[in-house]
Amino acid sequence: MPLFVAGLSHRNAPVELREQLAVEDDKLRELLHDLQASDALHEVMVLSTCNRVEVYGVADVPGEARALVFRSLCRHRGLDLAAVEPILYTHLDADAVHHAFRVSASLDSMMLGEPQILGQVKDAFALAQACGTVGPQLHPLFSQAFNVAKRVRTETGIARHAVSVSFAAVELARKIFDGLGGRAVLLVGAGKMSELAAKHLVAQGAFPIYVANRTWARAQDLARALSGTAVPWDELLTALAAVDIVVTSTGASAPVITQAAVSRVMHGRRARPLFFIDIAVPRDVEPGVDVLDDVYRYDIDDLKQVVDANLRERAREAQRAESLVEREVGKFVVRQSDAEVIPTIVSLRARLEDIRLGEVRKTLARLPDAGPETLAAIEALSTAMVNKILHAPITKLRESSRAGASRSWLELVHELFGLGRRG
Amino acid sequence: MHSNLINVAVIGYVGATGLALAYLVQRHDLVHRLSTLAALAGWAVHTIALVLRSLELGAPPLGNLPDAISVAVWVIVLLEVLLEQRTGLRVLGAFVLPVAVILGLKATSGRPGALAPALGSAWVWVHIALAMVGIAAFVFNFAGAIMYLLQERQLKLKRPGAFYYRLPSLETLDRLTFRTLALGFPFLTTGLVLGVLWARAAWGSALAFDPLAFFSLVAWVIYAGTLAGRAAAGWHGRRAAYCSIVGFAALALTLGAGLFLPGRHGS
Repeated sequence: MPLFVAGLSHRNAPVELREQLAVEDDKLRELLHDLQASDALHEVMVLSTCNRVEVYGVADVPGEARALVFRSLCRHRGLDLAAVEPILYTHLDADAVHHAFRVSASLDSMMLGEPQILGQVKDAFALAQACGTVGPQLHPLFSQAFNVAKRVRTETGIARHAVSVSFAAVELARKIFDGLGGRAVLLVGAGKMSELAAKHLVAQGAFPIYVANRTWARAQDLARALSGTAVPWDELLTALAAVDIVVTSTGASAPVITQAAVSRVMHGRRARPLFFIDIAVPRDVEPGVDVLDDVYRYDIDDLKQVVDANLRERAREAQRAESLVEREVGKFVVRQSDAEVIPTIVSLRARLEDIRLGEVRKTLARLPDAGPETLAAIEALSTAMVNKILHAPITKLRESSRAGASRSWLELVHELFGLGRRG
Repeated sequence: MHSNLINVAVIGYVGATGLALAYLVQRHDLVHRLSTLAALAGWAVHTIALVLRSLELGAPPLGNLPDAISVAVWVIVLLEVLLEQRTGLRVLGAFVLPVAVILGLKATSGRPGALAPALGSAWVWVHIALAMVGIAAFVFNFAGAIMYLLQERQLKLKRPGAFYYRLPSLETLDRLTFRTLALGFPFLTTGLVLGVLWARAAWGSALAFDPLAFFSLVAWVIYAGTLAGRAAAGWHGRRAAYCSIVGFAALALTLGAGLFLPGRHGS
């Protein structure tokens, strides 16, 4: 029975439309119950996030089912189906499997590799399961989609590198230092961005945290928020000597940390690198510190450049993920189509075996003196005939199912061999 | 038989090197696993070859330079696989295995020399064995230095490229170069001292010019200077990495001199 997915996403629909169609769980539950009652859909699952609204379903006539689902989605928000219908995409069978795998693996996400989508698909699946609208086709599809998503996450680097400036800074620190546990951090200035970066660093074990700010009270506030220590502004350079990572974000119009000062500080530090994360504009750390050994300085543009490189790296990894997904789709489709024809093949074999045994018994009744050789010959002859007869129909059934056209062949075989009603 | 097996082992190492380099580009787990497998297969064949060789010689396969280098390669490959397993530093092979292959080719290109006539004392075996373990350690030292410089350059340039993503942190790499230096240096020193003592006993003079001995002394001075600089003056990072590369160049000249120039170590 045809499997289909229909919907719209950030790729083809503007946010105004997506937000109008998105439905909350309660409404979704109602909708699924209504759909279950109708005959048009055998199975259905609705995925509704801020970036996509999609219906996965099994129906005799996918077009009809699609219209039914989206009509009720539109009715819920007072939209006209005619406005939505033209932009909906629809994929059938193997293409639908492909789409489900790609979406779950975050390959179709706006931010490649973002981790939320898998959870959202799992929630949608759980909801549909709770409403009893998941059956023998959607269940294996999404179990496998979750497996594939997990493999993509662990086996490719699609989600590996930071795509936010503050996380990129943390990753950089991890390429300089061997782990961030016990690394001292100095915050210069008390901006929101530097606070965020500091929180990421603390989450990785950085400790202790010092805060220097021109306004003493503000330094104390932020130090308290981060369980750190406030440092008087004029002791900034002393603090510099004691820390590993410096995050600067003051509103100063000229650099507050000069090359000369850093050069002096570095003399006493020996093998300890010093990493400046300068989020301020205009910059707080003189770019000249770049020439000093063991000093690494990234300003906001440098960090953005790193994020861009990370995105390119993700895109490269996504190509590997795509081929992994394609292989998995191939395997899944073959497994499913085999599963579709196997019951028929089994009953076909059983039917012919019955006939064979019956005829052998009749023949033997007429040959009371038959020796063991004759018995063996009859056995071999009848078995060989059954196998020869079965060969062509079984091959045809498997081929047709892999080509996605097994339905008429299955019916034909049932009809011809008198196998009774299917299913 | 022995030289055929050595060739098979080198082919295994070449395959492992190719795969390790491919892993650096592709970062496919399977490629890494195949590289390790090829290295281990080569190493297993190499082990058999070395055993056969010692049976044939009736002595450890250290009696001439090609054989000794072959043992050094054997140690390097073993250490490489073990270190990768222990530290999870999967790109190490891409930097260490090429050096192992070049050394391995050197070992097979040399004539299958006979036991050098002057070799009699047990001390000379120890001298050679220690020197070879030292060389193995310095191959890792060299690889660590190269990786450090690549990563440092990426971080300074602020344009993350392939190496930024694949190499570990600067501190990790600096520690690798320091530890391998600290490990290799005592081996090299003891090996050299034994060589000098034994030369005096065998030839009556320690200081007659021998190309291998000369370059190994140069290498020793460089490594000693680096170690002293690290310990006393806080040398590290880029400077220490440059020293490691120069030291390794001297070591390469040492082996080259032993293989291609006449002298006490030549066959």
